Amino acid sequence: MIGDMVQAYLALSGILFVIGAAGLMLRRSPLVMLMCVEIMLNAANLAFVAFARHLGNMEGHIFTFLVITVAAAEVAIGLAIIVLLFRERDAADVDDVNTLRG
Amino acid sequence: METTALVWILLFPLTGAAVLALGRNHLSPRLIGALGSLAVGASFAVALSALGAYRQAGAPLVQALFTWAKGSGFQVDFGLLGDPISLWWLLVVTGVGFLIHVYASEYMAEDPDVGRFFAKLNYFVFAMSLLVLADNFVGLLIGWANVGLASYLLIGFWNYKPEAAAAAKKAFLLNVIGEVGIILALVLMFMEFRSLAFADVFAGAAQADAGIVTAVGLLLLVGATAKSAQLPLFTWLPDAMQGPTPVSALMHAATMVTAGVYLMARAFPIYQASSAALAAVAWVGGLTALVGAVVATRQVDIKRVLAYSTMSQLGYMMLGAGVGAYTASLFHFFTHAFFKALLFLGAGMVAHYLHGEQDIRRMGGLGKRLPFAYWTFLIGVLAIAGAPPFAGFFSKDEILGAVLAQGHVALWLIGVLVAGLTAYYMVRLFALVFAGEPAEEHGEGHESGLAMKLPVAILALLSTVSGLIAIPGVTAVPAQFLEPAFLAYGYHVPHGGIGWPVAVVLAAAAAGALLAVRAFGPRGAGRQELLATAGSPLRGALANAFYIDDVYQKGIGGLVVGTSYVVGNGLEPHVIDGLVNGVAGGVRRIAQGLGRLHGGYVRRYTLVLFAGVAVFMIYFLLI
Repeated sequence: MIGDMVQAYLALSGILFVIGAAGLMLRRSPLVMLMCVEIMLNAANLAFVAFARHLGNMEGHIFTFLVITVAAAEVAIGLAIIVLLFRERDAADVDDVNTLRG
Repeated sequence: METTALVWILLFPLTGAAVLALGRNHLSPRLIGALGSLAVGASFAVALSALGAYRQAGAPLVQALFTWAKGSGFQVDFGLLGDPISLWWLLVVTGVGFLIHVYASEYMAEDPDVGRFFAKLNYFVFAMSLLVLADNFVGLLIGWANVGLASYLLIGFWNYKPEAAAAAKKAFLLNVIGEVGIILALVLMFMEFRSLAFADVFAGAAQADAGIVTAVGLLLLVGATAKSAQLPLFTWLPDAMQGPTPVSALMHAATMVTAGVYLMARAFPIYQASSAALAAVAWVGGLTALVGAVVATRQVDIKRVLAYSTMSQLGYMMLGAGVGAYTASLFHFFTHAFFKALLFLGAGMVAHYLHGEQDIRRMGGLGKRLPFAYWTFLIGVLAIAGAPPFAGFFSKDEILGAVLAQGHVALWLIGVLVAGLTAYYMVRLFALVFAGEPAEEHGEGHESGLAMKLPVAILALLSTVSGLIAIPGVTAVPAQFLEPAFLAYGYHVPHGGIGWPVAVVLAAAAAGALLAVRAFGPRGAGRQELLATAGSPLRGALANAFYIDDVYQKGIGGLVVGTSYVVGNGLEPHVIDGLVNGVAGGVRRIAQGLGRLHGGYVRRYTLVLFAGVAVFMIYFLLI
């Protein structure tokens, strides 16, 4: 094995993060936006794990579990909101959901 | 000597006031008059017994009541003090007050509000008794303020008359000016002596800081000028005639206006420690005596003449106090109470007979119809004008003799001039009311009954003989009685001698009386001239008391109204409202601007979020 390929993992993590961020900003479907957030979280996870292996300690792994837990909670709440949103107004576009504007 | 009796002097009139106030609609007028008189009479009896107790013990009576205020390092005890000065006052307040109550029980019997009247009258006596009985300045101030309130209630007794309500308001306001002076004096006093008890303050006055003592003296003088109608705060006194006549008599003779003289005499160690404050008292008194007498010569309302004469006589008392001749000053207070009450009650009988007429231009020739009022009023006139052997002669000459003996020649000359003027305006008043032919036909009035005549007769007797207790070189009751109160703080009261100065004063009074008889006698030229009411500027100025009241009304009143107008129409809507509305509007505009950021588009929030992250990243990576 040539090293631990940390640069490659980090590059992949960066690409994933940018894809997620771009999707979040550009797409209008709430479901897709939620998935983009997941991609970004997993990009962060990948970076954590890559660094943990590279540096040879466990903090990164532990932190990844924490992120996965938070992500699970976030998905649960996010999906619940989306379901309610669909029931309430049939909206497939987040731009229509702007009742809370100032 | 400890006693428990003094408080009853306060409790009798206070209880009377409470009972009459509660029962005013249920008791008959006769019962109301009797109860009111009885309360003050009982008070007088207690005062007499206190006098006996004092003479037996030979030491001031004291009664501790309660602690008024207590803090770390200081304590204000509230007690009563029956020393010669306060006993002297109490006897007059309750004694003359009693006679006036008896008189009023007939005079006011037909008024529908007689119960309210007697309740207030009793309260007035209570307030004045508290003022003179207190053994500390707090009690004095409380009594002082209560006297002011009582005078407000009584001057405005006929509250449906706008003039009466205005007069009451004026009296109250001017008295409050005086109260502010006294409160400030009390603050200074407390800072200097850490106590407000008479004993502590007076014992320390001689060693205290000279500036503070002078300031205290001048501030107390402000209070005295307001209460005793001295220059320049006298304008309420003539207007106070709007009250019923017994109120005028009570106010001028026994209670209220003499409180200023009491304060000067009571606080004498302060004035003896500050020659500047003492001189101020003397000059205020002398000038007030002069102004009051001059203005009285041109008045046409019987009660206003008497009001200005009170002002002038109080000026004499202040003058006496201002040269340190306290016993003479207090003696004049004593005799003045009798003859001024006599004159007012006499004026009341005249007004009663004429159905409320008070303009002396419309009177005349009443001597034949009201012989009793004629003779008693004549005694009052002789007493106030200083004819021997009536009371005013001795007391006035005692003051003027002391003024001259202290070397105040200018003030003495003023005093002599005032004596002449006093005789002039009193004889003028008497001639216009009682002598000659009636100026107008008033129809048959009814003469007064016994309840009005008896007090007047007693007062006439006292006005005749009360001067005899201090014939120079023969008797000296006031001096002997009062001296211990002043010697207690090491002050020897000076006395004037007798001799040629008395002759000068007598000559001045005789000249004044003769001039008045020539002008206003039955065939005098002044009578017709007065009816013609032609006015030169000087006469107008005199008749209107030099327009001082107008200066207050238009000057100070106008200033207040003008300032209120500017504040109400300029400052309030533009500056203050502008400030408040400006702040509110600014906040609203900022909020509207910030609200526009909150657009409701999730994508935009994300963009801002990432832009922020990007800025931070650039910051951390590049810098």
